[in-house]
Amino acid sequence: MEKERRFRPHIVQTAPDDSFCAGCATCEIACGLIHEGAVSPSYNRIFLGRDHRTMVHTVYACQQCEDHPCYENCPKKDEAMCIDERGIVYINEEACIGCGLCRKACVMDPPRINLVKSKDRAQRKAKKCDLCRGREEGPACIQWCPVRCLYISGGEEQ
Amino acid sequence: MSELYGYVGSIVRINLTESTFELIPTSKYVPKYIGGRTVCNRIFWDEVAPGTGAFDPENKLIYMTGPTGATGIPTGGRSVFTGISPNSYPEQYAWSGIGGFVGAELKFAGFDGFILEGKAPTHTRILIQDGTVQFLPADDLWGMLVHDTQDALEKIHGPKVQSIVIGPAGENLMRNATLTTSNDNVAAKSGFGAVFGSKNLKAISILGSGAVKPADIPRVFELRRRMGDPYMRKTPVVPETTHGMDGNMIPVEGGWGRGQVACSHGCNQHCNRLMMGIKSAFSDEKINQVEKCVGIFAYGYKEDCSWRPSQTYETPENHVLACKMLSCEPPEPGLDDPYFEDLMKPVRGDIVNFWKPDFDKGAVMMNMCNEYGIDKWDVIVWYFTWLSMAKQEGLLDDLDFGMEVDVENEEFVRYFLDMITYRRGKYGPIFAEGMARAIRTLGKEKYGDAIYHGRFSQELGGKRLDLPVSLETAWGHSYHWQGRGFEGTISKPGWLATSLELMTSTRDAQTIAHHHDKYTNFLQYKDDPCHSDLLLDAVVLDENKAEMKDSVMCCDWQSPDLWWPEMESVMYTAATGIPMTQEELNEAAERSRLLFRAIIIRNFGRDRDMEVNAIFPTMQYPDAHGETVTWEDWNDFVDLYYEKRGWDKATGWPTRETYEKYGLADVADELEKAGKLPQ
Repeated sequence: MEKERRFRPHIVQTAPDDSFCAGCATCEIACGLIHEGAVSPSYNRIFLGRDHRTMVHTVYACQQCEDHPCYENCPKKDEAMCIDERGIVYINEEACIGCGLCRKACVMDPPRINLVKSKDRAQRKAKKCDLCRGREEGPACIQWCPVRCLYISGGEEQ
Repeated sequence: MSELYGYVGSIVRINLTESTFELIPTSKYVPKYIGGRTVCNRIFWDEVAPGTGAFDPENKLIYMTGPTGATGIPTGGRSVFTGISPNSYPEQYAWSGIGGFVGAELKFAGFDGFILEGKAPTHTRILIQDGTVQFLPADDLWGMLVHDTQDALEKIHGPKVQSIVIGPAGENLMRNATLTTSNDNVAAKSGFGAVFGSKNLKAISILGSGAVKPADIPRVFELRRRMGDPYMRKTPVVPETTHGMDGNMIPVEGGWGRGQVACSHGCNQHCNRLMMGIKSAFSDEKINQVEKCVGIFAYGYKEDCSWRPSQTYETPENHVLACKMLSCEPPEPGLDDPYFEDLMKPVRGDIVNFWKPDFDKGAVMMNMCNEYGIDKWDVIVWYFTWLSMAKQEGLLDDLDFGMEVDVENEEFVRYFLDMITYRRGKYGPIFAEGMARAIRTLGKEKYGDAIYHGRFSQELGGKRLDLPVSLETAWGHSYHWQGRGFEGTISKPGWLATSLELMTSTRDAQTIAHHHDKYTNFLQYKDDPCHSDLLLDAVVLDENKAEMKDSVMCCDWQSPDLWWPEMESVMYTAATGIPMTQEELNEAAERSRLLFRAIIIRNFGRDRDMEVNAIFPTMQYPDAHGETVTWEDWNDFVDLYYEKRGWDKATGWPTRETYEKYGLADVADELEKAGKLPQ
């Protein structure tokens, strides 16, 4: 039996009767602009799963697993993939070689780590939500969501 | 090329006949032609010859995003198709905007737009992915409903794929067939779904992994705070127990849910028009679908919608964006406004008695339009209003549809929409040609011009007023914001303006250019609008703003903002880094409008006689206040408008001086050769 997975605080979506995601992609956009200066499906660290038929959309972000398999699988652990004082795994892009092993190790479906694909190997980088580490205003997706349907969980069990 | 902001650099020409594609640098057209509809107009002028018909392989569907697309600038995710419209009567060059996420995805795939040309030899679909185009067989998709097609494409290409598809209506060349993308977003107004069908094209799917960079990110975030005045608050699904407005309101047994929906990538001001848990036409399961402004009348149409002057005329204290009205969530009114009472006084719509409210029947009608890919406007405020009026006037006694005409019967709604979509029986092929053509095939005098006797003005104490059963206005469209028919309650200066905007267009212009002006201007021209320079200034402003928002790209519902006139130029510069003043952007809008004018003059024979004669008869039926316009006054109004535009009063053709003023000397040269330049 799979062990009970524990998470640190992470970005979650509220229930529709609290606030309903309109599917505008502002979370993805703000994430890309704040961190990369661009909007791109390859850059964002939060993902909008759109249901074209029902228009009930789902926001996905890293759930900050306590056992952090992504970190454990990084060949440059503590150099490219590091853990901060809150226990949150973050990526040091200078050292990241874009091998994709962290993404492969992600236990979530869909995986919560993005990967920049490029012919230029130096441009290949992993992107992962670290709750906008060091940003005074907190996570950009929460700050800019027009319908306030995102918040940071207090930690929970799956 | 150095770092590119806003644009991504290429337009792809897709030749369906040869299954080939080639890249055109976007810089061939921008910044002079801005993006969006302005670029489309230039390409069409350069590439499509007079004599081309909507369903000819030589007709080109040109699709463009704007420089704000996928930059994070609110509603920049909208985009536009142009080409020869099969739904215009007669066929003419037109456009149709579309929301959704395809525009952003196309830019992620490396293209600012595409040109579709030729005709595929067999049923085909296209995959655009990161700089490449693939031509794939679509026999397995042909015949599928819209959502089933979208699902099938997601199954093949994964959940991130964005697609534009047609349903059976487009396949069967129904002239008001739509192109549909996610969230029930459609390009509906011009019948371009049928052009896809004529080209054997079922769908275009797009996957991109690239990036779009705006030039000024802090400004992008400022725009996100300011444009549309977003609420930035929780918006839960609201349980509703009733539906409709004014005299069409009904209780809904079991209720339904109202949710927010973003119609385009990056929208920061959502409309609460997602209807959740309503009846499906195709399964027993409840479904969700998006209701736009006209959709509300599918459910019940006994009374036309009311109007408040504040919807059209604005003051510093009370100016409400259309998106706030659509969502019925206007901000707190400015009570210190000296004109407050005048602006907020509701004007009740005419009693029209088309059909009594029926929630489930309306849901089925909407769902069938969505799944077959038909323009809801034509279905709700044309086919079915005509059926209702013609039945009540006894005009249908000689027409055997194979089922008794009863617009209040859900089974008849299903039967009729099936009949026209699949061109069944004697009358299916006739009505699949759209109402304007169907009326003429049946006989316009009897089936179009006959007077409906069921219209009563609430503004005139219940007085009966004439209305033609056709509800037809110019260019093969039904009335909209024109003093009669659907949304007919605005006052005379308003419908004079919208009628003038329609007169020089090729399609219903009011889904784009809802007319707006300052209330203090209205007070000056309300008693003699046809001789008012101020009213014409407002017409020109609204028309130019429509060009801007379809070129820079933002939502119909967020522009124009009369109290923030430089909004579009701020958006443009934030996206591209290219300095652009409001005046310069207005010049670009004039250029776009001139190109449009040149196209309809060269390719479709437009002149003053043609357009005045198309619009004038439609204003001879009384408005809700009993008003009409005289031939003399209307022609005075047109004279002043042409003069203001720099067009010749006798022909309606722009002068060489006007073309040259906006950098279009080459266009003037060609028109001169064709004998289409004023002497």
